[in-house]
Amino acid sequence: MINQFLISVFAILGDGLVSFDRDIMPILSQKCLKCHGIDEESRKGKLRLDQGNSALKGGRSGKPALVPGKTDESEIYQRIIASEQNLIMPPLSTRIILTNKEKGLIKKWIEQGGKYEKHWSFENLKPVSIPQNSNAPWVKSPIDSFVYEKHRANGLSPAPEADKLTLVRRLYLDLIGLPPTPEQAMSFASDTSTDSYEKLVEKLLASPSYGERWARRWMDLARYADTNGYEKDRYRSIWPWRDWVINALNRDLSFDQFSILQLAGDMDSHGRQENIVATGFHRNTMLNEEGGIDPLEFRYYAMVDRVNTTAATWLGLTLNCAQCHTHKYDPITHHDYYSLMAFLNNADDVEMDVGVQNQVFSKSSNQQYIQKQKAISERWLQTIKDQDKNLFDAWCLQQKEKLASWRTIVPLKMNGGLIQLNKLEDGSILGHGDISKQDVYELEFEGDFKDVSGIRLEVLPDSSLPSNGPGMCDYEGPRGDFFLGEIEAFLGGRKILLANASESYFKNHFGNGRAGAAQAVDGDFQTGWSCAGLFGQRHEAVFELDKLPASGEKLKIKMTFGRHYACPLGRFRFSVTNRLNPKASSLPEKVQSEILSELPQELKIHTLIHYLGSKDEFKKDVLELQQLENPKKSGLTSLVLKERPATHKRSTFVYHRGEFLSPKEKVDADLLSLFESDKLKNADRLQFARWLFSNDNPLTARVVVNRHWQAFFGTGLVKTLEDFGIQGEYPTHPELLDWLANDFRSSGWSVKNLHRTIVLSATYRQASFRKDGQMANLRLINVYPRNRLEAEVIRDSILATSGLLSFKIGGPGVFPPQPAGVTNEGTYGKLAWNTSNGEDRFRRGLYTFVKRTAPYAMFSTFDGPTGESCVARREVSNSPLQALSMMNDPVVMEAAEYLGTQASKTIKDDAQIINHLYMSILTRQPSSSELIKLLDFHGEVLKQLDSNQMEVKIITNQKGDSRTAAWIVVARALLNLDEAITKR
Amino acid sequence: MLKNLASRRWFLRDCSMGLGSMALGGLLQGSLKADNDSNGLVPHYPSKAKRVIHLFMAGAPSQLELFDYKPELAKLEGKPLPASVIGNQRYAFIRPDAAVLGPRFTFQKHGKSGAEISSVLPNISKIADELCLVKSMRTDQFNHAPAQIYFNTGFQQPGRPSIGSWTLYGLGSETKNIPGFVVLSTGSGISGGAACWSSGFLPGAFAGVRLRNQGDPILNMYNPRGISPAVQKKTINLVNSLNLEAYRKDSDPEILTRIRQYEMAFEMQTSAPELLDLSSETKETLELYGCDPLKPSFARSCLMARRMVERGVRFVSLYHEGWDAHSNVEGNCRNNAAATDRGSAALVLDLKRRGLLEDTLVIWGGEFGRTPMVETNPALGRSQGRDHHPQAFTIWMAGGGIKSGMTYGKTDEMGFHVVENQVHVRDLHATILHLLGFDHERFSVTMQGLEFRLTGVEKANVIKTILA
Repeated sequence: MINQFLISVFAILGDGLVSFDRDIMPILSQKCLKCHGIDEESRKGKLRLDQGNSALKGGRSGKPALVPGKTDESEIYQRIIASEQNLIMPPLSTRIILTNKEKGLIKKWIEQGGKYEKHWSFENLKPVSIPQNSNAPWVKSPIDSFVYEKHRANGLSPAPEADKLTLVRRLYLDLIGLPPTPEQAMSFASDTSTDSYEKLVEKLLASPSYGERWARRWMDLARYADTNGYEKDRYRSIWPWRDWVINALNRDLSFDQFSILQLAGDMDSHGRQENIVATGFHRNTMLNEEGGIDPLEFRYYAMVDRVNTTAATWLGLTLNCAQCHTHKYDPITHHDYYSLMAFLNNADDVEMDVGVQNQVFSKSSNQQYIQKQKAISERWLQTIKDQDKNLFDAWCLQQKEKLASWRTIVPLKMNGGLIQLNKLEDGSILGHGDISKQDVYELEFEGDFKDVSGIRLEVLPDSSLPSNGPGMCDYEGPRGDFFLGEIEAFLGGRKILLANASESYFKNHFGNGRAGAAQAVDGDFQTGWSCAGLFGQRHEAVFELDKLPASGEKLKIKMTFGRHYACPLGRFRFSVTNRLNPKASSLPEKVQSEILSELPQELKIHTLIHYLGSKDEFKKDVLELQQLENPKKSGLTSLVLKERPATHKRSTFVYHRGEFLSPKEKVDADLLSLFESDKLKNADRLQFARWLFSNDNPLTARVVVNRHWQAFFGTGLVKTLEDFGIQGEYPTHPELLDWLANDFRSSGWSVKNLHRTIVLSATYRQASFRKDGQMANLRLINVYPRNRLEAEVIRDSILATSGLLSFKIGGPGVFPPQPAGVTNEGTYGKLAWNTSNGEDRFRRGLYTFVKRTAPYAMFSTFDGPTGESCVARREVSNSPLQALSMMNDPVVMEAAEYLGTQASKTIKDDAQIINHLYMSILTRQPSSSELIKLLDFHGEVLKQLDSNQMEVKIITNQKGDSRTAAWIVVARALLNLDEAITKR
Repeated sequence: MLKNLASRRWFLRDCSMGLGSMALGGLLQGSLKADNDSNGLVPHYPSKAKRVIHLFMAGAPSQLELFDYKPELAKLEGKPLPASVIGNQRYAFIRPDAAVLGPRFTFQKHGKSGAEISSVLPNISKIADELCLVKSMRTDQFNHAPAQIYFNTGFQQPGRPSIGSWTLYGLGSETKNIPGFVVLSTGSGISGGAACWSSGFLPGAFAGVRLRNQGDPILNMYNPRGISPAVQKKTINLVNSLNLEAYRKDSDPEILTRIRQYEMAFEMQTSAPELLDLSSETKETLELYGCDPLKPSFARSCLMARRMVERGVRFVSLYHEGWDAHSNVEGNCRNNAAATDRGSAALVLDLKRRGLLEDTLVIWGGEFGRTPMVETNPALGRSQGRDHHPQAFTIWMAGGGIKSGMTYGKTDEMGFHVVENQVHVRDLHATILHLLGFDHERFSVTMQGLEFRLTGVEKANVIKTILA
């Protein structure tokens, strides 16, 4: 293939001079560098050909591989033309063959001096001078000057400008992803002012639909979906991120700021919640919730995805292979890959409440709470009789007898493996870090444990934990869950028997086995204590033991967590008692301490309230009070990144062959070595994101303008949007690409400005066909290249054409009609596709709920992505299933029904109806032969329908006659035209 | 590259017929000239298997209950395996020191070949001499979704072309009326999802097409209500005639491809109902499969698979889910065997008597095996189950150039490790491609600057011993 490509590029450029980078490097990289490249491990004969000085020096043989100007002395050339089987390169065993053309190029290159050059895209951007042809009448902008030069060099000429109706449709589809209505089209066509085109461009750039159109393309790169992927493929809430993108594009947030927030908004938040929401970009990685997976393994895969996606999106590099070994073609080492990962690897994946600002509830500071509390106790005091007071006192006394007095103990040493355990002021311990299926906490206490007869474990809520804890489980199992498989205590190394365990609460989320504290001391790791269901609350377990001797030895407590999912404790506290036979109490903590305290009865307000909770006349009030304690969360969350504190950085390692089970040496964050800079050694994610937009980075500006170019012209100036490396395609217009990149930078990275620059060019305004017999050349753009619309644009167009489209922006994913069973037949994680009602049936495609394992059927048919990996360039296929979809999908039928019914109701003349349908669907008037065909077709269909009133009723939804039905059939046919789903 | 490659392929295969003498040469100029790459499209050797039916036993059946008889396990029942055997293998649910569970069924030797098969598979036992049992399968993955995706695409993450897509890409389709790669499923749901039949970076036209049990068997196969076949035909004629006019103006070859797709779609609409209508099958055939022609079942899908390959479908993937026996492996195998045994055996027999088995490869198996150790978990309410086991499992194949009446590979006495003739999933892939006529090392697609193969970058071997 590379052969063919070379010939074509060579033919395009045709200047007789061989360029190393353009002509020679692709041959070397494809056919030689596997054995003579950057990778030392696979290098043969100690010969390296990717660098000029090594080629001059030669390999093990001692002979120079390259002697500039002299093919007969250059071993490179001699070996590729050798006839002896044992000498010929590449060796016959590799089955790699150099063509005569390639050999010829290498010969010519050596003759012309055999110079090595840096790969074009790795060279810093330099100012480009615009070809001096601006007096050519066709040239409207610098873009045209570059394109015109290439035309001239290849004997081509531009196509005439497209007519106004074609242009208005093209602009609408490109800039806002929707076709114009007939009125919009006519208003432009009839605007004779000289700047009518410019005015239209500005109008569309300012349209709120603009952000929706361009957000969908960004979502492809971000691998957006509304489910987690893999087997369970459950729902996730990350659409606030999608809405952030739409909004940012609409207000033309500069692309550098946009990107910095996408990658590191949590570190650059300036207190703005929306900046943190932006980090959802990399939270779009998949999450495997299948029972029994290793969460750290899938976290690693997610990190690999983040590295690959970052590289494809901002650097235009395919790093994927460097995950396992040093890149065979590009100067990217295995080590480089993980250095880049280290920038991204220091964040926690968290779910942020984005509805209301997360308020920490505090009983003492909440006036409403205190007043209500006071009101209850006052009402009680006013209404009680003496005997009631006595009953309360007696109840307190009774409780006091049951309660042990506990002394908090704080460990001196703690070890939680990957989980960092931190002491808090109240003696409790809070965990932070990566959880796994078996986490073990080891705590060492010093002090006097004489006569200790019970150990209490309190599990506590904390706002840093999923669902406020007390556990750390954040997927597969319920969020905030923990499962204490076993708790063991040792005194001076000897195990102490823990017995008669009790707990304030327990619940097992999976299975029906008991999951109480007793199961945590039964010697079986598979059973244990869990408090599923009541998250964000304090619970306690008490373990009895034989009175300890006055040994002065250390007390060690070991807790083992985990089941088929990861679920260690997040926050907890230990205390001991000397009281015999202590039991867990279900009284709230404050009540316990009030009862045990010497406070006068009337000041034991929490106790009183708790007590009153069971009395009929106070139940309601107490319940209301409790509700104040748990302020309702909005329930609206989004997945975000949260950089870890400096005190608990995550280490990054090189993984041998990219395998999760083979971590090797630790690596520091650093730029890819090809950038030849150590400015970012040990820098963080934010610094990396900012570096992308520094003048030191030659790639990002080029990669981004190229991707936008492709959106308008169907093919990039570099066809391989995602690969600007050595295997990527050489640009057809290198100077134009660099000019655009420079312009993008100097405009302050304004995407709208870039779009304006492109659509204002004469290049963009050409017709899609030529009448002069000159062959269309889509790469050198002597016509405007026709391209099929993207899946979502096809559906949006159909809805817009028929006036059904909703213009509502943002919100959760919607469920437009689709055939039965797509999301629940044969899928493991079933999803009932409950079709949305009202306008949500007719929202733009980017709002359609994306289920990764079973994407929206029509979008899949038209090459929509699944959201499983970063897509820079969608394939465009052309299949019979697309034809079935257009002919038979209810969406098309519904639109046709609307169009046909309206037209037949409001327009009398048949030809005018056809005109109207053409304007609605194709934004043009029919030709006379088209008109005749359609009149005939309508007549024939009408004849058939006249004899079948049943069909008429169904087609018109009981609302019309056979003439209307026939117009519906006509509209359906027009919606099926290739032109209706094509940009031209 | 792929866009043009794909559409041109459709064009060459299909349009050259449909559009008669439309100037081929002229169409290939312009944008398409750089793409006449025929990498892998002409088989490297003659294809012994011309089509494949993959009976995918999703959830992973227990080889120890079905094919790999280990009496030693009965002796050891209740005791843990030595740590040296287990090594550092990770498990999904059990702890490595779990006790051993003996086989739940009796086994007998069958046929001339003497293949040892469980009593729970009476029908498959009867066709033992048609089968090649591979008892030494090995995979890298031990969770369902990644393992299923791996078995189907050679990579554990979604995004690569499935083996069906590679096959269709390599050999093209023999039918214009039905999709060339069809996917059916019966059971509870496929963990790997659509990634298992995805075309990955190959064009969507090579993806598996679901034949559904609800609604239209092929999405949008039936006309909208009220649109008669006559109106549909007229509409397609009009659309194609107007499209042709557009082509005369814009000269975009995609329009010609579109025209052909509409013709094909109409052909599909007319011939698919015939495919799905089982009324032409004899009572004897229905009895052989043991299926109700009107009710979705694994057996009915097997019969449908035969009808499809008869009509030129290149690759049929038939998923049966439900083998994930974390508890009560005995009951699980009993139920799933009852659902699949007869249909699987009938398919092989039926293909054979119609002379189709010779060049149709049938593959039966799951994504990994199950542990010799018992899975018991009081907290989860599980007992007498088996966990996921990637080190050793069994599949069988028949027809399509595979040796019949053969057992290949061996596991140790505990059924834990392969001790003879290990067949890694990528070796199986290499072997299947070989049977289809492709050298797996040369059958590649260049994408994003990288060369991708079904068998990946690790060394894979064609298992020559099992070739007929």
